Amino acid sequence: MNIFLYLDHNTPLHRLDPRTKLVSALFLFGCCLCFNHPLYLAFISMGIVGLAFWSKSLSNFWRLRFILLLLILFSALLWPFFAQGRNLWWAWGPLAISRESFLYGLAMGLRLATFVGIGLVFLSTTRNEEMTNGLIQMGIPYPVAFALSTALRLVPTFVGAGATIIQAQVSRGLDLESGNIFKRLGKFIPQAVPLFIYAIHQTNTLAMALESRGFDPGSKRTFYYEPKMKKEDWVVLGIFFLSFAILLYLRLGLSLGIIIPGRL
Amino acid sequence: MTTAISIEDLTFSYSDKEAPALKHLRASIEDGSFVCVLGHGGAGKSSLSYSLNGLIPRFFRGAYQGKVLVKGQEAAKLTVPHLSNQVGLVLQDFEAQLFSTNVELEMAFGPENHGLPRLEIERRLNHFLGVIGLEAFRQRQPATLSGGQKQRLAIGSVLTMEPDILVMDEPTTDLDPKGANEVLTLAQTIRQAGRTLLMVVPEPEMAIEADQVWLMREGELVAQGSPREMLTDPALLKSCGIKPPCFPELFQALDWSGHPLTLEEAVSLIRRNHPLTPKSEARLPDPPTPSICDLILEAESLVFNYPLAEKKALRGINLTIGKGEFIALLGQNGSGKTTLAKHFNGLLKPGSGQLLVQGKPTSAYSHQALAQTVGYVFQNPDHQIFARTVEEEVGFGLKVLGQDAGTIKKRVNEVLEVVGLEGYEKKLPFTLTKGERQRVAVASVLAAQPQVIILDEPTTGLDYEHQKSIMELLRTLNQKGHTILIITHSMWVAAEYARRTVLMKDGAILLDGPTRRIFAQEAKLAEAALTPPPLVQLSNALGLQALTLEQMVEELRLKVY
Repeated sequence: MNIFLYLDHNTPLHRLDPRTKLVSALFLFGCCLCFNHPLYLAFISMGIVGLAFWSKSLSNFWRLRFILLLLILFSALLWPFFAQGRNLWWAWGPLAISRESFLYGLAMGLRLATFVGIGLVFLSTTRNEEMTNGLIQMGIPYPVAFALSTALRLVPTFVGAGATIIQAQVSRGLDLESGNIFKRLGKFIPQAVPLFIYAIHQTNTLAMALESRGFDPGSKRTFYYEPKMKKEDWVVLGIFFLSFAILLYLRLGLSLGIIIPGRL
Repeated sequence: MTTAISIEDLTFSYSDKEAPALKHLRASIEDGSFVCVLGHGGAGKSSLSYSLNGLIPRFFRGAYQGKVLVKGQEAAKLTVPHLSNQVGLVLQDFEAQLFSTNVELEMAFGPENHGLPRLEIERRLNHFLGVIGLEAFRQRQPATLSGGQKQRLAIGSVLTMEPDILVMDEPTTDLDPKGANEVLTLAQTIRQAGRTLLMVVPEPEMAIEADQVWLMREGELVAQGSPREMLTDPALLKSCGIKPPCFPELFQALDWSGHPLTLEEAVSLIRRNHPLTPKSEARLPDPPTPSICDLILEAESLVFNYPLAEKKALRGINLTIGKGEFIALLGQNGSGKTTLAKHFNGLLKPGSGQLLVQGKPTSAYSHQALAQTVGYVFQNPDHQIFARTVEEEVGFGLKVLGQDAGTIKKRVNEVLEVVGLEGYEKKLPFTLTKGERQRVAVASVLAAQPQVIILDEPTTGLDYEHQKSIMELLRTLNQKGHTILIITHSMWVAAEYARRTVLMKDGAILLDGPTRRIFAQEAKLAEAALTPPPLVQLSNALGLQALTLEQMVEELRLKVY
């Protein structure tokens, strides 16, 4: 099973320096925070989908379509109860939904989904190692960056082992499909204990392999994929910075894209 | 010639164990030579490997006495990363050794750690990708490679540090026969390039090409010498828990002179000194085949696809299995053996076609009901062991099936006796040896008294003694009426124990029949990249019927005047 999101294509986005992509992602997050009007946010969402199309990462959006839809749906359903607007549609005691709060909920849903989308585009176009290198070059200590990327790398291994363990216990008659929540929690132990022991064993072997391959967090090392900031990187950074600045001005200077004032 | 490694009276005990893992080892390895290490499980082979690159005593703490000199430098005084460009270590578990997102980054990791410039890394990558034969896979994710390719990558990613000495701890154990062959061929290439090579191997046949063979027993290096000296002494090998090569053992059993190691030697010795009588119409009686009247498992044009997979995992399997059979399911990894086996206990449901257990489709059973008819023992016992006592572990299946405490106790005692673990009731399963844990796993499946028992590679990772004892146990169960189906890569296990063999390739059944008939078709087996065990190859070459050593001795006594 493959749960890595990276897609091995050669698009301009893949070729960008990981630092450029990290910082641009932050600018884009900022853009999402500028407005709370769904229409404005929808524009930004469309932009991200465009980027995904351009970087050939739409297949990952499709893979995670349910999560994205759920995010939009739940936010749109729950947020309206926590925001107040003027044009009341429905009220029952303290619970009320207005036109504004409904639109606000929709906007929040779009915002969350767009956050995830930005992350998806980033992970679809950036290798684990590139991200590590990018972080290191931005001043994160190597051991920290390496631990992060190793944690990411171990997830699919553990997912695979977990699946085997569940099959092994089901073969012994463990019934995972029935029973109330407490019974189900009890059934968790036969799955968790072997996985836990497997994880300890696996990390121990990994540590041995790392040392045997000369890994020494303290010493200086080189990088085979050496990220270099090229002209394109600066241009892209410039574009995203400028977009963020303009959107910020639209919100703060011209008060556009606001459905409920005073909220993010 | 200079000395690459010299071990001077090395004794080591792990800090959490009392008994020393290594006892007074003395040995030396010449530059550029090839040493193979053999021994039973727990003999100290891995500990020896770890002491050569400094993992002992740097990573594993404990009481360390004596010296290991690597090119004259004392290993214990250097750090592991520092030693890594002199001694490369490859471990058995290739999954845990690979952690990068593509092949070239995996191989670049070592040189990066040593701070080599990009261009030098590039040069080494290009060179060693060729050596390990993975040029075409440069950008591939390691997880998508086959087992043999993964282990070759693990070796390649150590080679890029250009160590003079390469140590490999059982690099073939977790591989199918094809992958094991790839790794052994690569070992030959590395050796021809002039590197010093020490390899722990599970079978003596793999050590024939070595310059030196070391035998280990309970932490001691009991003997060292040329392969011919070491491997032609069945008694010595057996005392170290190693399965002796079959040819010297055969000659010894027949009281014939000569110590052949290879098939060619054995055939020519027999043809010269003990020609078979031409009138040899006397045949061994056919092994009794139980008349199969009751079918228990039936697959009818079974097709299965894993989601997202391009190729079908099973392409129309037709197979019937009768009560009381003992079947070996052979084939390379990815041939569909495990996929088929998982259909028998309902873990997978047929895509099309059907699978009947006692005449009813598996979908008509609940998992629990099926578990009482078809038991499935997974390859790695650690994937299922979780309880604090052996008793609780073995009784788990019965408990979830809703049996009362009295019945559970009675059945647990019965099965523990069957698997030879009486007196282990209160022990912590995790502290047992691999062979014992395997027995606990078998016992816990057996407790539900399933008619059919399926075992996925029951002998992998076990030493000869443990392999033999688990297989003898299965034979006993079979004689008591259980139907046994084993998935295995071990040819001698199939030859010795299975009456019927099913050979799979690319999701289809290539051959199916009595084991002797299957192993006679060497060309067909080669299609699936398999070879019969050496003894059966000799049997084929001489036109005999024998599958096991005992049969061969009997048959040769009959036919050589």
